[in-house]
Amino acid sequence: MAEAAAPSDERGGRDLDPRVFDSPEFQRDPFPIYKALRDHHPVYHDRFHNRWILSRYWDVDGAFQDNESFDRAMYKPDGPYKFGTNHVFGPNILEYGNSDEHRRLRNIVAGQFVGQKLNDFLPMIDQISHEVIDRFIDDGEVEIVSQFSSQVPIRVISNMLGLPREDENTFVGWYQDLIAGLGFGGEYFARGLKARNDMWDYIDPMIEERSKNPGEDLLSRICVAELNGSRMTPEEIKGFVALLLAAGGDTTDKAIANMWYHLMYTRPDQYPDVRDNPNLWENVFTEMMRYDPVVHAQFRFTTREVQIHDKVIPERAGVILYLGAGNRDERAFNDPDTFDIHREDLHMRRENRSGRYKDGKNGHLGFGIGQHFCMGYAMARQESAIACRMLAERVKNIRPKFTEHDGVTAPNIDSGGFRAPSELWLEFDR
Amino acid sequence: MKVVIDREKCFMSGECYYNHPELFKMGEEGYPEILIEDVTDEEHLRHAREAIEVCPAVAISLTE
Repeated sequence: MAEAAAPSDERGGRDLDPRVFDSPEFQRDPFPIYKALRDHHPVYHDRFHNRWILSRYWDVDGAFQDNESFDRAMYKPDGPYKFGTNHVFGPNILEYGNSDEHRRLRNIVAGQFVGQKLNDFLPMIDQISHEVIDRFIDDGEVEIVSQFSSQVPIRVISNMLGLPREDENTFVGWYQDLIAGLGFGGEYFARGLKARNDMWDYIDPMIEERSKNPGEDLLSRICVAELNGSRMTPEEIKGFVALLLAAGGDTTDKAIANMWYHLMYTRPDQYPDVRDNPNLWENVFTEMMRYDPVVHAQFRFTTREVQIHDKVIPERAGVILYLGAGNRDERAFNDPDTFDIHREDLHMRRENRSGRYKDGKNGHLGFGIGQHFCMGYAMARQESAIACRMLAERVKNIRPKFTEHDGVTAPNIDSGGFRAPSELWLEFDR
Repeated sequence: MKVVIDREKCFMSGECYYNHPELFKMGEEGYPEILIEDVTDEEHLRHAREAIEVCPAVAISLTE
């Protein structure tokens, strides 16, 4: 329970000071607060930040499934707000709610990240992983975040888009600034906008070229895709590209770093299992996505009054769905605070958008559920597992360089700040 | 035309009901339920064909 909490309220539960959500303690370790929310305030009205919070597994799942009551869009599509004007990516799919337009936009690219289309890209993921590892393999040590995890995914997505390989280092810089511009205001937003504009200048001639002579790459596909009989505008195409670079890069980047962190610090006793059976990297991915996923919170707006348990959330209220809290719910998982790659009560294989599985087990909530379920889920899983396996196979006796570690953290979790270690130094033999 | 779901093949990915709520909804345990018994409308047929295309389990078909 948080230090900031007062003794108790009239219902016998602990009172919760909403200012705790802004504290460094919460950014570092939100789990005690999550438990207090689940146990005492399953439908919490945070009057200080003017929002509501859901934290139990089945309540979060229920809100993700209920498109009639919960919408992701902040603005109405037919209102005065011009989409893209206040977003660092420009106009993009994330700004759309549960509309037909969202479904059509999503379907232009969603099919590219699953099934055979994805399989075709796996050799390229192997190759890029090896190239990145080659750069540090002779050093005997690696800082995972800057030298490995942040290097692989951005190179993979820019390759899928068909951008020139010699410019990859430039994209890495742009994407880091774009990501910082997502969660923060001020200079971060300004730097994000500059990166976006530089990237747009770079990509404009490519859009023109590929609209005329489309190839097999993802950028060509986006350029020629038709919505209601017409192609997207260059602004919309560029918004899409910014989204794919950032969302396809940063989340997987942090997933890889988290996987190594947990095997090196949280459960070093389970690393030998994974080393000896590389198929278990998929379990590491799945359990990481439950135990402490990259994204902990999703935001929704109610479209009507919603009754959950004994509370009523009013219409047009902002609601945080703490999937990071739902994943630790004792109502869904046994011993939820233990990281265990052999966990038997978690669906370990590929995720379903429905959150329902034939094995009858519960899945993690780390990709969301339903209408806005992560469309890169299959790719994130494959890419993370492949990159981790490649590194594990090329080193011996990999171990933490320092005994102490600050752990996984988030700079600003409420604005969608992604959780990962800020640094992760490992040593190895060859 | 009738939309048929093979429940043996279906692994409840949810792609049909999230992409085509005009024709499908989530039913018990996560299997899809079909909302329109006899599909005749051209728009609904388009949804049915697209759902067949996106189903990762190849579990949806259209019959006379």
